[in-house]
Order: sequence, then C-alpha cells, then structure tokens
Amino acid sequence: MNAIPQLFFDAMSLGGIYAMAALGIALIFGVMKLVNFAHGEYIAFCVFALIVPSTDAVAVMFLGKAPAFVLIPTLLCVGALVAVGSEFFVFRHMRKATPVAMMISSFALGFVIQNTLLLIYSSRPKAISLWPELNMPIDLIGASIPLLQIIVILTTLIVVVTLALLLKKTRIGLEMRAAAENFTMARLLGVRANVVITGAFALSGALAAAVALIMVTQTGVADVRMGGQIMLVAFIATVIGGLGSLPGAVAAGFLIGAASVILQGFLPLEARPFRDAFLYTLVIVSLLLRPDGLFASNSTKPRV
Amino acid sequence: MSKLGVYDVAVRYGKVPALSDVSFSVEEGERVFISGPNGAGKSSLLKAICGAVPTSHGRIEVDGDVLNGRSPEAIARLGLTMVPEGREIFGTLTVEENLRVGTGIRRDKSAIETDIDEVYQNFSILGERRHANAGALSGGQQQMLAIGRGLMTNPKLMLVDEPSLGLAPNIVDQVYETLVNLQKDRGLTLIIVEQSSARAARVGGRMVLLRGGNVVGDGDAAKFAESDLLKEAYFGQDKSEVPS
Amino acid sequence: MAQTHKQKRLSAWSTPVLLIAILLVFTVLITVFGDKSLARMAAQTLIRVTFVVGLWIFVGNSGVVSFGHAGYMAIGAYCSAWLTLKPQMKGLFLPDLWPFLANAEWHVFPAAVASGLLAAFVALLSGAAILRLSGIAASIATFAFLAIIYTVYSSWEGVTGATSSVVGLARYSDQWVTFGWASVTVLAAAWYANSSSGLALRASREDEVAADASGINMYRHRLISLVVSAFFTGVAGALFGHSLGVLNPSSFYLGVTFITLAMLVVGGIGSLTGAVTGVLVLSIIIEALVRMERGMEIGETTLALPTGAQEIIIGIIMILVLILRPAGLTGGRELRLRIGGR
Repeated sequence: MNAIPQLFFDAMSLGGIYAMAALGIALIFGVMKLVNFAHGEYIAFCVFALIVPSTDAVAVMFLGKAPAFVLIPTLLCVGALVAVGSEFFVFRHMRKATPVAMMISSFALGFVIQNTLLLIYSSRPKAISLWPELNMPIDLIGASIPLLQIIVILTTLIVVVTLALLLKKTRIGLEMRAAAENFTMARLLGVRANVVITGAFALSGALAAAVALIMVTQTGVADVRMGGQIMLVAFIATVIGGLGSLPGAVAAGFLIGAASVILQGFLPLEARPFRDAFLYTLVIVSLLLRPDGLFASNSTKPRV
Repeated sequence: MSKLGVYDVAVRYGKVPALSDVSFSVEEGERVFISGPNGAGKSSLLKAICGAVPTSHGRIEVDGDVLNGRSPEAIARLGLTMVPEGREIFGTLTVEENLRVGTGIRRDKSAIETDIDEVYQNFSILGERRHANAGALSGGQQQMLAIGRGLMTNPKLMLVDEPSLGLAPNIVDQVYETLVNLQKDRGLTLIIVEQSSARAARVGGRMVLLRGGNVVGDGDAAKFAESDLLKEAYFGQDKSEVPS
Repeated sequence: MAQTHKQKRLSAWSTPVLLIAILLVFTVLITVFGDKSLARMAAQTLIRVTFVVGLWIFVGNSGVVSFGHAGYMAIGAYCSAWLTLKPQMKGLFLPDLWPFLANAEWHVFPAAVASGLLAAFVALLSGAAILRLSGIAASIATFAFLAIIYTVYSSWEGVTGATSSVVGLARYSDQWVTFGWASVTVLAAAWYANSSSGLALRASREDEVAADASGINMYRHRLISLVVSAFFTGVAGALFGHSLGVLNPSSFYLGVTFITLAMLVVGGIGSLTGAVTGVLVLSIIIEALVRMERGMEIGETTLALPTGAQEIIIGIIMILVLILRPAGLTGGRELRLRIGGR
C-alpha cells in the first residue's frame, strides 16, 4: 500500500467535511455577525432524523429507510428547516443585540437541541448503517481508498461549486453578498433583511445536513455528542479563514483536515492521543500570527 | 400634497440628541440643499428619512405615506433612494453587480437592462469597468457608481449625503453636473447634504440650514450665500446665549 | 449634595458586604432547616458562586466572553488531588506522577491555594497568547484552550487517570468551607473591580480604539484580570473535587461551561451582584428541576421530568433572558447602600 496517496485522500475527505461545516458557520456570520454555536447541533439533529426514536443501541432506520433520491433532498430540507426555525424563534428577536449576546444565545440553543435529542434518543451511541456498501475499498493510484472518501471529496467539490454559483449567479446570492458586506446599505437599496437572513440560515442548515449524511456513512454511529466536536473544528476553520470569508472557510477546513491527518500520521505513538491538543495549539498559534485569519481582508478591523 | 414632509422630527443616539423639532417640506421636482456646520444633524436627518436610524419624535411622510416605523427596505419601495456619505459601495462586488443590487424592488423588469445601459452612457468609465471589483474604482468613480446604483431602484426622490466629500474640485463639478442633468431628465426630487454653501449657491436651489439639530433658515441658496444668517449658523452664538 | 469621594468608596464596598450577608443567610437557613442533601446542594451552590464570581472578574471587567474557564477549574481540581491524595493511592492509580507530587501529602487548605496558583500560572501563560486577540477571536481561542485542556486531561493516563475517574479525595468541602471561599472570592472581585486596573479595563471595554488612543494598556490589564480570575476558578475546582470525592475530565467541559455562562448571563454580566444573583437563582431552579426529575408523588402516580429536561429548561430561560432582558436580571446594577449624600 502506498502511504502518500492514502494520506492525501484521508486529508481531503476529512478536510471536505470540515470545509462544509465551516461554510455553514461562515455564511451566517457573514450576513448577520452571528457566531452560531448551534451549528454542530443542526448536524446532530439531521443525523438523528434518520432513525426512529428509541433508546436501543442499534438504530432502526426512519428517514434512513428511504431511497437516496428521496432521502438526500428530504434531509437537506430538514436541516434547512431546523436552521430557519432557530432563526425564527431565537435570533430574529435579537437583531439589535450585540454579537456577544447572540453568540451566547446560540450556545444556549445548541444545548437545548442537544438535550432534546438526549431526551428522545438517550445518551447511548447507536450503531447506524447507512449505505454500508460505500465503505468498500477500491484501488486508486496504488492506494486502497474507500469509495466513500472519493464520494466525500466529490460531494465537497460539488457543494462548494454549487454554493459559489448560487452566490454569483442568483438574485438571492447577490443580495446575500451585498448584505454580508454592508447590511444597512443593502437594505437602503430595498434588499429585504428577513429574506436574506432566512436564506442564509436555510443554506447553512442544508450544509449541516450534508455533513450529517457524510459523517453517518463514514462512522456508522449516531451519538448525541457528535455535534460538539465537529462544531469546534468548524469554528476554528472559520476563524482561521477570516470570519465571514467563504473561500477562507473552505481553505481553512481543508488545511485543518490536512493538519490533523498529518499529525495523526507522524506524531510519535505515545503522543497520538493528544493529537487534538496539538491541533488546537496550532490554531491558537495561527490566530496569534494572523489575528484576522490567514486569508483576511482588512475590513474586519475597527476603523478609527 | 408635498413630495416629502418632515414634521417635528427628533432623533437621539442614546441620550444624545442629534435633531430636535425639525420641520420642512419638499415639493415634487425641487432641489433642496441641507447645509450647516459639523454636528448640525444633516446626516442624521437623511438617515432618519430613509429609515436607517429611528426617529424619537415626529412624523415623516412621502406622498402622504408615513415612513416612521417602516424598515429601510420598505421605504426604498416607496420610491426613495439614498446615496450615502462615503459612497458605501460594495467593494467586493463588481460594478455591474453593485448596480443590480437595487433592482430587486422593481416591477418593470424589462426596463432594467435599458436603465443599466443608460447609467453606462452617463458614466462611460463605469461601462468600461463593469466587470471590475467596485473597490478598485477611484473616489470620483465610486461616487458616480453610488449615484448610478441609487438610480437603479427607479426612484422619485433621491437623497445624496455629502457628494463632494474627499473629491477634487473638478470631479465635484462633474458630480453636480450629473445630478442636475439627471434631475432634468427624470423629474427627480433631490435632497443634497452640502456643507459648502458657496457650492450650493452656484448649483442653485433651495437651502435648509441646520444648526445644533434645529432648522435655523430656509430659502433660496443664492440669497443665503450673501446673508449673515449663514455666517451666524457657522460661527455665531445661540440666540439664548447672546445678551440682547 | 453629592456623595464625597470617601462616601462613594464606602458605598462601593457595601456591595460585597451585602452579597456576603446574603450568602450567609442562605447558608444558615439551609444548615438550620435543610437536610443533608440540601446541605450538599448549598455547598455545590457556593462552589458555583466561587467559580462564577471568579469568571466574572475576567468577563465582567474585560467584556471578553471566556469559554475556557472550566479548563482552569480542571487544573485546580486535579492539582489538589495530586497534592492531597494518599501516596499509596497515587502509586496505584496515577503511576506516572513526578516523585514530588507522588509523595506529597498536603493539608487541604494549602493544597487549595496551590491549586489556585497553578491555575493562575497557566492563565498567565495561556492568556499571554490568547489575550493578544480581541473580541470574538479571543473568545474562540478560549474555546480552543478548553479543548486542549480537556484533551490532555482525558488522555494523560498515568497522571490524570484519563477518562477513568480519580477517586478517594477527602470530602471536606461542606457548606461552611465553601461559604468561606465564596466570601473571599466576592471580596477579591470587589477589590479588583475598584482597583485602578479594574477601572481602566471597564473604561476600555466599551471602545477598544479609544482606549488604545488614551494610552490604556488593555493587554496588561486583561492579563491581570485573567490571572486573578483563574486563581479563584482553580480554587473552585479544588473545592469541587473535594465535595464529590471523585474527579473526571468530563466534569470540566461543555456542561459546566454552559451552566456557569448561563448563570452569569441570567444574573447580568455587567455587575458583581449579577454574578451572585445568577448563581443563586439558577441553582435554586436546578435543584427544583432535579427533584422533579427524581419524581414527585401526587396521589397514586409519580410524575417525573425526563432526564435532560433540566438543561433544556435552563437553556430556554437563558435565551429568554437574553432576548427580553439582555443586561440580565440585575441590569448591570450593583446592590449597594448609599452612604451619606443624597
């Protein structure tokens, strides 16, 4: 087996997941300066929407029973609905609040969603088998790569390109980009704040659903706590990429995926359990070197 | 019915009053300069009219529709557009995208393309750079873009905040020439914040003079330039502070 | 006539005195009228007062929201365990401890102080880096810090016991010990808030640019407040370990971060009174909810809230407070006596 292509595919597929999660967070931040800590729980919510509520260790499929061409769009809608719902019930009432207050309330909202899942599905992780055939390895340039990894990488590319086209070519995309740069000015030109914000949440939620599908297929586990970990990494990607910058979020997501695969591969055996600690330390270091992100524009600094 | 009516309007930022009891009205097709020293409340007045800041008292009407409490996007739909201080163009969008942001509220979709072409005819440099990022334009070009962008909402009433700010005098001449021509062609009602009363007098029109958040004068701009009222507004004391 | 300077100072000092009096009444009432489980709840509440007031010293004065303080709490808790556990126990469960720690058998009080100092020292190091950032970037860096501490403590088998619990800590943190530490923390918080460093920090909180221009060295004052703050959260960690007798890294992660932030927000980040009020109000609500989760007998049937309902309700309360009363229950005001003047 060839180690280098193997590492490359590992890094790309992990980075792809991180990039999509980070995009979801960056979209919302760009439009309304909300650091949405609930995003990880949108992902967890979508995972659990696949299975029948129960406290058993092996999950019975609910939505997950549907064929892929029904399941995928339905789950994307579920994600969008959760995100739009959270905007409607919580963040819409905080339009004039400070970014810090919004951030804390998103943290609280995440906790509410997580504990609601806990209440319904119990805290026991569940084995869940969605499309197991995708984990079959195939041979590619000398490495044995699970088919899923290639699908993840392709999906990420498709998602990123679709999002880019959506933002570049559609009316709502234009309005979102204008609003992200200068919300007040966009509104003065007749751009409806509620439409743009709802649109951003819907997209963000759909991205969360895509991440959920990939994570479930890859890990085969549904765990109430799964949102926290991915959210933390996604956040970090958003910050490193420069808060609100979409290309930055994607690049940083891949970067973190690569860093964590490389650390996993090259750290001495006894240090491997501490991989995440090294990763987060790298993050703090990168923030110190480039406080506005690795790919920052200069507009985030307060003007005198 | 006036095009725009401002009745007893007050604006405050927290506890700091920026405008108090401002009243005036503007007729259709008129050109009105809002002038006065720094801190007189000129920008606050414009922001209050377009809905960017809330009023704490009073009423603002366009064609008899009350604006208070409406969102900026709803006010834009009443045919009012704002060309803000400092241009505030979308620097990461292309020139053409900047123009298209404001077209979402228009019902006459077919006219949008001809309007864009018209903007490019009026400002040829914008046409040449239509696919460039707007942030790369010069100050004067950005001002033209901001005006063009405002036009794309197909407004009847245009508010322009300090169009001469930071521009070379010959560019300012161009900007005003453009504004005057646009007004003639489209029958626009124009309200312009202009600190230089000499400039206002030269362009011609009515002038509303603000000082300390109050209207202290209202009349023909050219006549103002000669009167003492102007000097008093800029350099004088409040009447209450001067013993008679 | 306005208050004189001296009267104002006295008036400012009435805040911690009043707050401590309230805590004293709370403790006495529970000791006299409550059962054993209520006394334990009182001790838990007073530990939270120590933690949240400690957290407030940083967050309340600097305006930077920290998600990392549970990390300092973990550091304090484990430090006290290292210093006070019987050497045989440590040899068995924590074989990789350095000889100095492995043989230590300290008295609990100096161990608590040392735990606070270690947390403060780590705060000095981590803060020196993190506090170079501002606003939201700083908050997210504190989150990364928390994740680092959690990863390290839940993986360092021979030193922290990793995910298996450390057991056998002396359970000395009763309601009186914790009351003592809570009072000291409240006094220290009032002292810091009225010190020149605290005043400078709060003056700069509103406007970083202006503060920079006026020559206030925000970085230094933020670091000072973080170090003081971490000392008390470290002590709270030590007390926490010695109240349950058991330590596990997961006790010092998102759960405690959430609940303590909720307390700070519900009470009001802007004031010391808010920090104490938030802890008392939410602790009482939590106790009520826990009892309801255990079940209430009404006639023949037992009504019980499902597990997890507690967090959901607290989360909803927190969101409602943020929407309806963004400055918290106290609205940023301090409880204080007016001394002299009118």
